[in-house]
Amino acid sequence: MSKIQTNVAALATVLAVVLVAMLNAQSKPVAQIPRAADGKPDLSGMWDNPKEPGSRAPATVFDKAKMAPFAPGGEALFYEPRTGDPRHDEPRAFCMPSGFPSAFLGPYPVQLIQTPQYLVMSTEFMNVTRIVPLDGRPHKTDIEPTFYGEPVGRWEGDTLVIEGRNYKRWSLDDWYYQNPKEYRMHSEAFHSIERLRRVDADTIAYEFTVDDPKIFTKPWSVQWEMKRHPEWEKTGLYEMVCNENNRCEGGKCRDSK
Amino acid sequence: MALTLGLLVATSPFLLAHHSFSAEYDSNQPVKVTGTVTRVDWQNPHIWFFLDVKDEQGKVSNWGFSGAPPGVLQRRGISRDSLKAGDVVVVEGFRARDGSNNASGGKVTFADGRSVFTASNEDKAPR
Repeated sequence: MSKIQTNVAALATVLAVVLVAMLNAQSKPVAQIPRAADGKPDLSGMWDNPKEPGSRAPATVFDKAKMAPFAPGGEALFYEPRTGDPRHDEPRAFCMPSGFPSAFLGPYPVQLIQTPQYLVMSTEFMNVTRIVPLDGRPHKTDIEPTFYGEPVGRWEGDTLVIEGRNYKRWSLDDWYYQNPKEYRMHSEAFHSIERLRRVDADTIAYEFTVDDPKIFTKPWSVQWEMKRHPEWEKTGLYEMVCNENNRCEGGKCRDSK
Repeated sequence: MALTLGLLVATSPFLLAHHSFSAEYDSNQPVKVTGTVTRVDWQNPHIWFFLDVKDEQGKVSNWGFSGAPPGVLQRRGISRDSLKAGDVVVVEGFRARDGSNNASGGKVTFADGRSVFTASNEDKAPR
């Protein structure tokens, strides 16, 4: 083989490799996700509660490596000392609301129902339902703050962005924080930002951002994921009524009779 | 039937993710008892079941144990018929903070070792 022939052969080989790579890149299947009639990704279905991606450990709001520095006075607002009074120290033990996002982080299914106008997010835990308008309406003004806040959603391409405001100061703890001296709260300036993206048929990538300017110098985010469980469609969510038989309310148990 | 209190090596408490576990149960007070089921309350926010437990002196006392929420158990295929009055079971858990004969019941087995139910992995504390 002459030198020219060798070079041509080498070039042809390189071109072939490049061509195959380009074809592969083009033909690589884009994750097939269900879409609604309006073309938006359809998030409807039965989902497991948010978990840590990969490890599938229970999701925590707090990753100290990701938390922003405290604003002046923020640390004192964030860490609420336990006082020994169970009504103050763990109001959830008296069936008081968990608040957001805590209610959605316990090991219970979450059902999502999507229409062009609304996303309904319902968790079996405490039967909490969030109704998220998707029509671009602004947040309300001059309303009383609430435990679960006021969510408003919008689509940014295939990502659903939900911003929550109008929260009252309440626990920001997940269910696994057992510090005997303090628990963690958000202020009434808490502004939550969720970004939900259905990355494949069975997974929602879920980014949760804490923006609380009274506590932190800047917003900070953690990443979770939700997995679909079509087998739960059959039974749907079970009823959960906290006050039905809350026998050890606040640590004082009722007599067994 | 034996009543054994405070003799177990303390392990991670089974968290049932309804209340803060530590508000109601003492993870330093592990409990392991064998007894006869007297009643099952298949209710929210957690099922409760009650055992007659005989101590070394032969005195019988009734203990209450909190289990997982009924919906969580049903989703795992565990129905209200899984545990009935008259069944003899071994229960491991953590005693109520108020010192009463109540406890969490994270692990329940029949006398022959078959599992009745446990808290799931996802109920355990990750840290």
